[in-house]
Amino acid sequence: MTLHRRTLLRGLFQGSAAVMGVPFLDCFLDSKGQALAATGQRLPTRFSTFFYGLGLTTQLWVPKKTGLDYDTTSQLQPLEPFKKKMNVFSGMRVMVDDNPNFQHWSGNAAIVTGIAPTKASQFDSKTIDQTIADVISRGSRFKTVAAAASGDPKHCYSSLGGANTLPAEPTPLALYTRLFGPGFQDPSKADWKPDPQVMLQQSVLSAVADERKDFMKNLGGTDKDRMDQYFTSVREAEVQIAAELQRPEVVAKVAIPASPGDMVVNYALPNVRQVTPLMAKLGALAMATDQTRVFNLAISEPGSNIYVPGDPLGYHITTHMEAIDQTLGYQPRVAKYNVYSMELLAATLKELDSIPEGDGTLLDHSLVMAYSDQSYAKIHAVDGIPIMLAGNANGRMKTGYHIAGGGAPVSRVGLTVQKIMGLGVDGWGKGSMETKSAYPELLA
Amino acid sequence: MTLRQLLLGSTVAGCALAMLAEPAAAAPWKRGFVVREYGFAFRYGGRPESAETDPASDCARGSSVHFADEAEMRKTLEKQPWRSKQEIDYIVKPPEIDKARLPTYVRFYVWGRAASYRGWRKGIETYVNPFAAPDPGQPEVTGRIGDGLNLDGKIKATDFIGPDGERGIDNALYRAWGCDAPFRNPASGTLDLRENTQMQEGLYTVVIRISGNKDPMNDDDATVEIGYSPDKIVRDARANVAPDYSYRIVKSEQYTKLKAKIVNGVVETEQVDEVHVPRIGWFPDQMGDADFHKGKLKLKIAADGRSAAGVVGGYRNWLDLLSENTFAQTGAEQGIRDHEDAVSLYYALKRNADGMPDLKTGRNTAISMAYRIQAVPAHVVDPATPAQVRRPVEDEKRRKGFEMVKSAMLKAVSTRTVQEVPLGTGEGQFPAMERTIADLPSRDFFLKTLDAPGKLDENGKVITPKPQAEPQRQVKNDATTAVASAEDDDQ
Amino acid sequence: MRKKVILAVAALLAASTAIPAWAAASGQVVGLRRLSEQEYRNSIADIFGKDITVQGMFEPQVRMGGLVATSTAVLSVTPTGFESFSKMADAIAIQVTDQKHRAKLVSCTPKSPKEPDDACASEFFSRYGLLLFRRPLTDTELKARVTLARTMTKASGDFYTGLRYGLAELVQSPNFLFRKELGVPAGKVFTLEPYSRASRLSFLMWDTTPDKELLDAAQTGELNSAAGLEKQISRLIASPRLDSGMRAFFSDMLELDTFDNVSKDALIYPKWGGAMAPSAREETLRTTVNLALHDNGDMRDLMTTRKTFINRSMAAIYDVDFTFDSEWMPYEFPKDSGRSGVVTQVSMLSMFSHPGQSSPTKRGVALMDIFLCEPTPTPPANVDFSAINDTSGPLKTVRQRLLAHATTPTCASCHTHSDPIGLSLEGFDTIGQRRLTENGQPIDLTATIKGKTFKDGAGLGQFLHDDPKYPACMARKLYAYGTGLNSEDVETSSFKTAYKTFVDSGYRMRALIKGLAESPEFFNTPAPVSADASNGQTKLALH
Repeated sequence: MTLHRRTLLRGLFQGSAAVMGVPFLDCFLDSKGQALAATGQRLPTRFSTFFYGLGLTTQLWVPKKTGLDYDTTSQLQPLEPFKKKMNVFSGMRVMVDDNPNFQHWSGNAAIVTGIAPTKASQFDSKTIDQTIADVISRGSRFKTVAAAASGDPKHCYSSLGGANTLPAEPTPLALYTRLFGPGFQDPSKADWKPDPQVMLQQSVLSAVADERKDFMKNLGGTDKDRMDQYFTSVREAEVQIAAELQRPEVVAKVAIPASPGDMVVNYALPNVRQVTPLMAKLGALAMATDQTRVFNLAISEPGSNIYVPGDPLGYHITTHMEAIDQTLGYQPRVAKYNVYSMELLAATLKELDSIPEGDGTLLDHSLVMAYSDQSYAKIHAVDGIPIMLAGNANGRMKTGYHIAGGGAPVSRVGLTVQKIMGLGVDGWGKGSMETKSAYPELLA
Repeated sequence: MTLRQLLLGSTVAGCALAMLAEPAAAAPWKRGFVVREYGFAFRYGGRPESAETDPASDCARGSSVHFADEAEMRKTLEKQPWRSKQEIDYIVKPPEIDKARLPTYVRFYVWGRAASYRGWRKGIETYVNPFAAPDPGQPEVTGRIGDGLNLDGKIKATDFIGPDGERGIDNALYRAWGCDAPFRNPASGTLDLRENTQMQEGLYTVVIRISGNKDPMNDDDATVEIGYSPDKIVRDARANVAPDYSYRIVKSEQYTKLKAKIVNGVVETEQVDEVHVPRIGWFPDQMGDADFHKGKLKLKIAADGRSAAGVVGGYRNWLDLLSENTFAQTGAEQGIRDHEDAVSLYYALKRNADGMPDLKTGRNTAISMAYRIQAVPAHVVDPATPAQVRRPVEDEKRRKGFEMVKSAMLKAVSTRTVQEVPLGTGEGQFPAMERTIADLPSRDFFLKTLDAPGKLDENGKVITPKPQAEPQRQVKNDATTAVASAEDDDQ
Repeated sequence: MRKKVILAVAALLAASTAIPAWAAASGQVVGLRRLSEQEYRNSIADIFGKDITVQGMFEPQVRMGGLVATSTAVLSVTPTGFESFSKMADAIAIQVTDQKHRAKLVSCTPKSPKEPDDACASEFFSRYGLLLFRRPLTDTELKARVTLARTMTKASGDFYTGLRYGLAELVQSPNFLFRKELGVPAGKVFTLEPYSRASRLSFLMWDTTPDKELLDAAQTGELNSAAGLEKQISRLIASPRLDSGMRAFFSDMLELDTFDNVSKDALIYPKWGGAMAPSAREETLRTTVNLALHDNGDMRDLMTTRKTFINRSMAAIYDVDFTFDSEWMPYEFPKDSGRSGVVTQVSMLSMFSHPGQSSPTKRGVALMDIFLCEPTPTPPANVDFSAINDTSGPLKTVRQRLLAHATTPTCASCHTHSDPIGLSLEGFDTIGQRRLTENGQPIDLTATIKGKTFKDGAGLGQFLHDDPKYPACMARKLYAYGTGLNSEDVETSSFKTAYKTFVDSGYRMRALIKGLAESPEFFNTPAPVSADASNGQTKLALH
C-alpha cells in the first residue's frame, strides 16, 4: 500500500469542489501497524459532548424495557442506526438541595459538574469535558474545542468554573479557520518531542522495579507469587510509559481541505440542519488528526430558540404555549421539535462514524455524551433529563443499554463517563448528588 | 405509639385491621401530613378525552384564549382607538421578521409590549393600571359544581354545589378565574403544573398536623395546624412524595392553629377571622402569605390514614391575588405565553368579589376562594431549636421588583390615577423588547410607535439600555457577538 | 499469664540481633498484608495531614472467612491497580511538595531551590521513609532515594521536583503498599519483631499507620517488654481513635460493604432510595461502637438493646418522629416494636434480602455466619426456586413456601440450620419496615433451633444473647482481623486467652481488645515452613 491512496470527498462545502484526504490512512497503519502491535498502544479515546435544549417528551422517548434489547421508542428512532453503540439513561434526578432550581440552567449545569449551581449561568466547578481534557489532551494541539450550530459563541457549556465559558466557534468557517487555518499542526512533522514529565515518571517506575530483589528476600510460596504479580504490574506500567515516549500513533496525512464558504448560521431549522453535520465533520477531523481530543458541540442554548420557518412561536415558546393534547397526553408540536434534536444528534454521530480509524471508526474510539437542560420544558422540570452516551470508547464502554435511574443522581452518569475515560476517580459531585457509584454494567 | 396506632399506620392491609379496631378508649393522638398537591381549588369539568381548551361542564366557552394567535391579538389591538391599522398590522406580523436572529422572541416581545399598553389613550401601561383599559371579557365558569367551603353560612343562588352535594359553597374566584387557561385542569394547566412541580422539586414545603384526645376518625376536640416546613420534600424512587418522613413545622407568619371537629374521618375546623397559610407559587420570591379572611380548613382523611384531601379557604384581598398572579414575571409574559389576560382577570375579580366590604365605599375588597390540598402521611414535629424557612438571597432582587410593581398597581387602582411602570422590574417587557429587536430591519418603527416604560432623552430618542458586559474569555476569539439575548428573562 | 509472657520475652531478647530484622537474613516473613483503601487513606492523612486529597480507584476487596481483612493477606496488585496507585502516589507527592504545603511538610530548606541538596533530601526521605515504610530505611534504601531525587532535580532544574518524584516512589513502593510482618526466632516459636508489632497494634486499634510514639517504642525495644507493650496498648485503647479502629472492625465483621451491591425494587419499595444504604450502615456502626466503647457495655446486649441512633432517612423507614436536633439522634424502640439489637436494624434486614421480598434463608445464613461463626455451604446447582417465589398459590407467606420445600431431605440439612433465624425475622419486610401480615395473612414469627423455640425479633435477640457461641465468634473474628488469618481456619486455642478475658470482664470490648493484644498468640507464630517449599503451599503453618 502506497501513500497515494486517498479517498476524495467532493462537494463537501456548498458545492465547491473540495478535496479532502482521509486522515488516518490504513496504509500508514499497516506500515506502522507492526509498531502499534508491539507497543500494544491503542488509539487515544476521544471525548465529545452534544448539547441540545428543551429535552424530549417522556412518554415518547423512555423505553418500556430496561437493560439490553430495549424497545426503540418513536423519539429514539432517528438514533436506531447507532443503538448498538449507545446507552440511554432515563429517570436520573437533579437534586438542587438549598439552591434555587434555575430554569434552563440547573439541570444542564448539574449534569456536567455533578453540582447544583448556586448562581444562574454559572458553573460551580470545572465541567466534565475540561476534567477529562486535563488527563487525555496532553500532546494534542488544543485542549478542547467548542462549536455552536446556531451561531452564538455563548452557546458553550465547557468551563473552568464560574461564569467563564470557552467561546464556541459560531460558524463552520470560523471553526475551520481555527482548526485548519494558520497554525495547523501536521502531526507527521519531524520535530515532535515527548513530554518531559513522562521521562521523569519513567525513572520513578524504574526505581520501584529496583526494589524487587530486596523485597522478595525471605518470601516463600504464595507470598512470592503475590509479589511477582505486583512487580509484573510495575513492569506493565513501565512498558506503557515507554510507549508514550514514542511519537504519537495518530499520524495522518491530510490534504488541507478548502475552507467552507460563508453561510447563514442562525436558529432557522434548515440552517441548523446544514451547519450541524458540517461542524460535526470538522470536529471529527480535528480529533482524527489530533488537533484536539475533546470536542463540544451545542445546537442551541438551554431554552432553545430554534424555529421552523413559518412557525411564529419557535421551539421554546411552543413548549410553554402549546396545549397538551388530551387524547395523546403530550404536546404534539413540541414532540416534533424534540425529534429534530435527535435527528441532529444522529447526524453528528454519523460524522464520527464515517471516519475509519484502525479496525473501526472514530466513533468506536470515542465517547460522546448527549444531554439537555430540562425533562419537561413546559414546566421546567429537571427530573428525568435524557442523557445518552455513544461510542465504544476504545472498548472501554459496554453499549446497548437502557438504564432506568429510579431517582439516582445525574452525577452517576458523569462518574461513569470519567471512569470509562480512564480517570482515577472514586467519587464525583457535591451535596445530595455526591456519589461513589458508577454504573458497573457499562464498564468493560 | 400504641399498638393500635401501629396497626393503623402499617402499610400492608392496614385498613383490614382498622375496620376491626374498636372505638378507642380516649387517648391523645396526632397525625401529620406533608402536602403533595397545592393549588387553586378549580374543579375541572372536562372528560378525559377533551382537548385542553375545549368547552366542558365547567367552562361552556372553553378556556381563555387571549393572545393565542394572530386573530386574537388583532382583536385585542383593535380595541385601542388610537392605534392605526398599519400599527396593528405591523405588530401582529412584524415586517422582515425573518431577518432578525431571534424572530420568535421579536414577535413575543413586540406583542408583549403592545399588550402592556391598551389604555383608553396612548401611554398607559395597563398591567399597572388595569382600570384604564376596557374589559376584554373573561370567560367565566358556568358549571354549578365547585370545590370549596361555605364561608357565609348562607345558600345563595350564586353559590356552588360541592361534589358531595353540599350547598352554599363560596368560591367566587373559581367563577372568575376557573376558565383561565394556565389554571384550568390540574393535569395540563401550565401554571398549576408548574407550581406543583416546583413545590415537589423542593421550592417549599407545606405541612399539616392534626391532633386530638379521643379518636383520629371521630373527635370533637381536635386541633389542626398548618404551616411551612424548612425541610425539603423527599421524593421516592418513583418520583412521588415519599410518606413517613419527618418535617419540622415553623411558627412563622404563615402558621395557623385551629380547633376542629372530626366526624368519620372528615376534619372541619372552626372559622376564624384570619387564616395565614403558605402561598402557592413557582418562583422563590413568591413564597409568602396567603391571608384568608374568615378562613377555615376541611380535610378528609382516608380510612387507612395513608392520605388526606381537602381545602383551605376564605376571602382573600383580590388586589393581592391579582398582583401575585400578574407580576409573577411580567403581565405580558404570562399573557402572551399562557393565554391569559390580567386586565380581564382584574375585571372578573371586581365583578365577582363577594367579601370584606370596604367601610367607606361599601365595595367588596375580597373574594371567596380555596386552595385544594392533597397530602401524604408525615411526622410533623416541632423544631427543637428555632428554625426558619430559608429565603434564597439570589431571589431578593426579584422580590424587590415585585413589591415595586405591586405597590404601583395598588396606588393606581386605589387612587384611579395613572402610575408609571417602575424601571428595573422588567414590567412592560422593557428593556427586553428594545434589546431583542436590535437587528430587526423595521425596528425603528416599533421604537417610535410603541410606548415604553423608559424615559426619552432630550433628543427624543429612546434611552438604549447599557450594553451587556462581555463575558470573560479564556481564549481570545475573533467571532463577534451579534445577538441581543433573551436569556435574562425567565420563561 | 504474666510469667509466661516474661519468659517468652526473655527468650526474645536473647534472640534479637543488632541488625534490624528487615535487613537481616534471619527474619522470616510471617505475614504480607496489602493496605486496604481505608488504611491507605488514614495513613496518608496521618503522615501528611488531612488536607492532602487522595483521589483514585482502589482495587476491589474480597471476603474470606467472613472478613475482608483476611483477603489482604492473600491478594496482590493488578496492573490496573498499580497504575492507579502510581497516579495517586504522584498526586500526593505533588501536593506535599507544592508551594502551599512545603513550609509545613518539608522540614529543611535547600541551599538553592534549583540545585540538588543531598543533606536536605536525606532528611526528607529519612523522615517520610520511616513513616511510610513503618520502619526506618536502611542506608542503602536512603541513598537510593537521595540519588533518585538528585537525578530528578538535575533534569528539571528544581529541588522540590526532585523531592516530589522521590516521594512518589516511596508511596507506590511495595514497602508502603504491603505490610511485611517479620518474625524473629524466640525459642520454639517465631515472634514479630518490634516494628511489625507496632503496625499490627496500630492497624487493629486505630486502623492506621503507627504514630511517632509507637514507632519510637519499637525502636527502643520497649515493645519487646511486657511492661512497654502494655503501656502502648493501654495508650491506644484509651484514645478516642479507638473508635476508628473499631468502626473498621465492625464494618468488616458485620459485612456492611454488602450495601455496595444492594438494590431494591423501585416499584414495590419506592421508599428505598440513595440515602438509605449509607444511613442504615451508619446507624449500625454508631449503635455498635456506642455500646462497645462509649457505654463500655456488655457486648451481648448488641443482640437485645433497643437503643439506636437514627437520621431523617432511617426515621422514615422506622416510621418515627425525627427531632432534627442534629443529623443523628439517639432513639429507643418501644418494647412492643419487635426490635432487638442489630439483628433487627435496617442494615441486617435489608442487606441479606431480595430486591422485592424478604429472604429468611439469606438472613439466616448471614446472621449464623456473622454472629455464630457458622457458615452454611452453598446450595446445590440444580435447585428449582419457582415454588418458593410463587405468591399466587395457596401458600401465601414466604414462611409457608419455604417450610414446604425445606422438607426435601437434601435441602433440609442446611435449611433447618439457617432458616429459623430468618423466619423469626419475617415481621420485617425487605427494607426493614415492620409488618404483621403478608398478602393478607398474619405472619407466624416462631422459630426453633436445636430444641429452643423463640418468637419474633426480640426472641431471636435473646436467643443469640444467651448463646456462648456469639461472644466466642466475636473473639475469633477479632483475632482473625488482627492477624490476617482466615477465621474459619483459626484454632480455638489461638484466641482462648483473649476470649477468657472477654468473658471475665462481663463481655467488655476493651477487655477483649486488650486481652487479645496482650496474649502471646497475637504476636507469636509457629516457625514458618522453608521458603523453598516446592509445592508452593502457604508457607505459614496456621494455628
